[in-house]
Amino acid sequence: MVSIKAGLRGGALAAALAAGGAAQAADLVWARYGDADSLDPHRATSTLSMQVWDQIYDTLLAFDMEGTPGPNMAESWEVSDDGLTYTFKLAEGIKCHDGSDFTAQDVKFTIDRAFGDAPSLTKTSWGPITEVTVEDPLTFTVAMSSKFGAFIPFLADSFSSMICDTNTAGTFGSSTAIGTGPFKLVEWVKGDQVTLEANADFVNRGDPVENPGAPYIDRLIIRTVPEAQTRLAALTTGEVHIAEPPFDDVAAIQEEGELEIMVAENTGQDVFWEFTTSRPPFDDIRARQAVAYATDPQMAIDIIYGGLTNREWCPVARGVFGNDQAFCKRYGYPYDPEKAQALLAEMGYGPDKPLETTMFVWTGGNRHKLAEIFQAQLAQVGIQAGIEIMDIGTMNARVKAQNEDSTSEEPGTFDMMTWSWYDPDILYQLWHSPGAYSGFQNAELDAMLEETRTTIEPEARLEKVQAVIRYLMENAVHIGLYSPGWEWVFAVRPEVSGFKVGPFLHPIFTDVKIEG
Amino acid sequence: MTRFIAQRLLAALVTVWIATIAVTLLVHVVPGDPVRIMYGSFQTTPEELEAIRVRLGLDQPIWIQYAKYLGRLLQGDLGRSIVGDQPVLDILLVRFPMTLALAMASLVIAVAVGMSLGFLAAYKRGTWVDAGAMILAIVGVSMPHFWLGLLLLFLFALTLQWLPVAGGDWMSLILPALTLGLANAAVLARMTRSAMIDIFDQDFVRTARAKGLSQTLVLYRHALRSGLVPIVAMLGLQFAYLMGGAIVVENVFAWNGVGRFAIEAVFARDYPLIQGFILFFATVVALASVIVDVAYAFLDPRIRYS
Amino acid sequence: MTTETLDPRSADADAPVAASARRKPRSFLAALLRSPSGLIGLVIVGLLVVCALTAPVIAPHDPLRMAAGPRLQPPTWDYWMGTDDFGRDVLSRILYGAQLTLQIGVIAVGISLTCGLLLGLVAGYSSGWTERVLMRLVDVLFSFTEIVIALACLAIFGVGLTNAMIAIGIASIPFYARVTHSVVLVEKGKPYFEAATAAGAGHLRLIFVHLLPNVVPTLIVVGTLGVSTAVLAAAGLSFLGLGAQPPEPEWGFMLSASRDLISRAPWMMIFPGLAIAVTVLGFNLLGDGVREALDPRQRQR
Repeated sequence: MVSIKAGLRGGALAAALAAGGAAQAADLVWARYGDADSLDPHRATSTLSMQVWDQIYDTLLAFDMEGTPGPNMAESWEVSDDGLTYTFKLAEGIKCHDGSDFTAQDVKFTIDRAFGDAPSLTKTSWGPITEVTVEDPLTFTVAMSSKFGAFIPFLADSFSSMICDTNTAGTFGSSTAIGTGPFKLVEWVKGDQVTLEANADFVNRGDPVENPGAPYIDRLIIRTVPEAQTRLAALTTGEVHIAEPPFDDVAAIQEEGELEIMVAENTGQDVFWEFTTSRPPFDDIRARQAVAYATDPQMAIDIIYGGLTNREWCPVARGVFGNDQAFCKRYGYPYDPEKAQALLAEMGYGPDKPLETTMFVWTGGNRHKLAEIFQAQLAQVGIQAGIEIMDIGTMNARVKAQNEDSTSEEPGTFDMMTWSWYDPDILYQLWHSPGAYSGFQNAELDAMLEETRTTIEPEARLEKVQAVIRYLMENAVHIGLYSPGWEWVFAVRPEVSGFKVGPFLHPIFTDVKIEG
Repeated sequence: MTRFIAQRLLAALVTVWIATIAVTLLVHVVPGDPVRIMYGSFQTTPEELEAIRVRLGLDQPIWIQYAKYLGRLLQGDLGRSIVGDQPVLDILLVRFPMTLALAMASLVIAVAVGMSLGFLAAYKRGTWVDAGAMILAIVGVSMPHFWLGLLLLFLFALTLQWLPVAGGDWMSLILPALTLGLANAAVLARMTRSAMIDIFDQDFVRTARAKGLSQTLVLYRHALRSGLVPIVAMLGLQFAYLMGGAIVVENVFAWNGVGRFAIEAVFARDYPLIQGFILFFATVVALASVIVDVAYAFLDPRIRYS
Repeated sequence: MTTETLDPRSADADAPVAASARRKPRSFLAALLRSPSGLIGLVIVGLLVVCALTAPVIAPHDPLRMAAGPRLQPPTWDYWMGTDDFGRDVLSRILYGAQLTLQIGVIAVGISLTCGLLLGLVAGYSSGWTERVLMRLVDVLFSFTEIVIALACLAIFGVGLTNAMIAIGIASIPFYARVTHSVVLVEKGKPYFEAATAAGAGHLRLIFVHLLPNVVPTLIVVGTLGVSTAVLAAAGLSFLGLGAQPPEPEWGFMLSASRDLISRAPWMMIFPGLAIAVTVLGFNLLGDGVREALDPRQRQR
């Protein structure tokens, strides 16, 4: 009897081993709801794309777990007294995936490309760069036309990923991608999966992980699995090691204790109300305030995300320079439907004449459900908001077009906008005229925003940044709702160890090991 | 025969040609400035938009744009997507085999289930078998693809856990193929039944039966063969609708085919992708109909002279 | 060949209903009720209309009110079809959804029927060059398939339920044009039409007095079946997120919202799907019944 039992168990084990062997023990499969848009860091803005670049490319500087930039591919740097010239020294022996040396020439190639004929989509975040000069293979200087406080942190972000100049123009970003990061591109089957293999030459110089060299896993497979339930099923069977779980199942997963739930911190993500201020009704501050008072983000996120995210009062997220909940709350809009109704009544709206508008929301992360709750809350004070769901690229364009159309007879819209950035310079990019969305802008705010760029000394800069925050909140232009807001929850299988999510949602796989 | 095939190919070419005109016009009937809608993302200045307009040739008269578009098409260049700046043809070619696999598997299921059901119903005409088969068929026709898909998913993948929910291998092809196949089997069953009833009523079958030839022989020799002709003629259209149905079913099962990509493109208003998809779809359907027409002509030689 | 045309896309639905059209209304109704499919179809469609009209009275809850009950409540006496993830009553949403479904059917079929009829009449009547070009174009559009045309329309207009209804209406025009065209060709060959032409009747008179009434019976059948196609298509687009937007209680949209919760709250998936299937079945049966009633020859099959 005993021997039969043992035989059975042995058989089951053999079967399990065979099943494991099919997918190779050292392949890590990470499933996400969508695919990267491009492997070219200058051709996309989505988090889904950025997280793939993180693996293929490396950056001159790197964030530590607190989000402070430090040396990485660049060993050291100096800033001239006028603050306009940066001189960087590269580490020796960095190799591109094709075996060529990574030098100052590659840095110049990357930056020139970002400002070239088909400039990077996030060109302005590089700052007012006028020239990159190669001094010697390991030294280069960057000249600016004016002081730019957010330059150093930008060099630690993957939008500043370093691209090797040996890349082929025709295929780069779609079928080829040569960088210096911990993984090399093997194949990208669009809409299905990105296959990466460990870069044996990789040396970790600045990432906040223990492994000093190449990743322990052989391959990293980033798979697209749109349905949350499917991802969960695949996690349960072991087909997938890491994935975003369905939010409604997180509590059950935690109770069961098999999968580990990881919630990323310091994501820099901010979800906020943004309004078309060029025409009625939101050209009137009272209408914007009414929306702010009438919505109860805490209740909504409790229902949809069940404690996985936080109420965010500030226009920049937790972990970003300048964020201070107590400070922001002072100028914020706590849930107060009566106040909202009073403001609407002042404007001439009432039970017989509701304020009609449309709310834009982008797809994914259950945001449409959140929007439905906000829609119901707004309806209670007499704001009738239709919902339009679209992808983020379309929303960016539509919001801008709305603002630029000040004569339309249609009521102005508002939107649940989302931004993730590592520095309060995002406020400059959003609100300094002409502004990312051609939205609210004036000379006073412009002057205040310019000061946040040209003031470098931290304490002085904090004052400038908080002045802007206060201004944006008092004018009900940028009303924080919650943070984080997308792709920040990970369920991890028990045999996986060492998975880490760095600040600003950079997943790091170099420490990852798979047991068994 | 060669002439017939040439004629059919020419007709298919006309279809594709009209599709090229349609997709060129598509961008221009969009209300508003297409360049701004497509590329007016944050951080693009008016000057950059103008540069894009010139680069895409959208500043030129429409007939020049069309001529250039045709020129590029002949070189296999379908343009680049707005989102991520990817070559449209690459994206389509990666995904088409997935859709083709789904459509073919569904077609096999539809033909196997639908034709046997229809044949059985016609053969047992007027009995409860006939009635039962036809009730099944009308319910099948009324069943939304996506609901049938969800029900199968709920039953076989989530409750019984016999089949994977999604993936890319043949196991995960079963559920979507079954969904699409069964829905089309219902249509095919009804068509087969009436086609076969027409045949059974024809004199030569009656004669054969009267002559006392064995039932089976009659069925196979005469009825089935001539019954096949009108059904094959319909398969072309069936294939087109399978491809159309695949758009929905792919989205239910997250099957990485052309259909799932088309929906993403419409959502993102990625016009180069949408144009590429329509053109591609029209070409595939037109080619399929040529193949079916030729098969039809082989089965029924009369058609060539009509 | 066959006149089996349940699914308008299948087979050759172009084949006209035999023009035994000018029958008395009462005998038509009697014939309709005598056919089992006609009777069942009529009952289902009647129920749908009643639900739509009386939804505000019979719905136990406000279809849009969140937290009308607990979240994700399985079916109980208070919530016959359970509640959704916002605590809204699924039954009430389905009842109100009937209004949207009827609207979809009427608007989509209205568009395709009107435009298709005109196109088919003009093409069929004019003959020659105009006819060839028009019908070739219609054939090409037809071969694109409806879903692709609908997607193209949505890419132009943008998403939304109204746009989806219009898109579906436009997408089916080629089909209705083909049906009309083929009926007109048959009618034009008949003696009465030749007599009218010989008598010197004008174009308008020939089209509207002579051809139109003979086209109508076929179009009633095709239109009834077309409602089922339109309802299916609209639900499909809403399911894909291209049609109805929140908080509209559209059935296809409700189904898509159920996907993340399919194992925890299967009732959110089962009932809206059932509503769509039964409605589509109703219009299919009614269409079959109408055809049988209009064309007694069919009944023997």
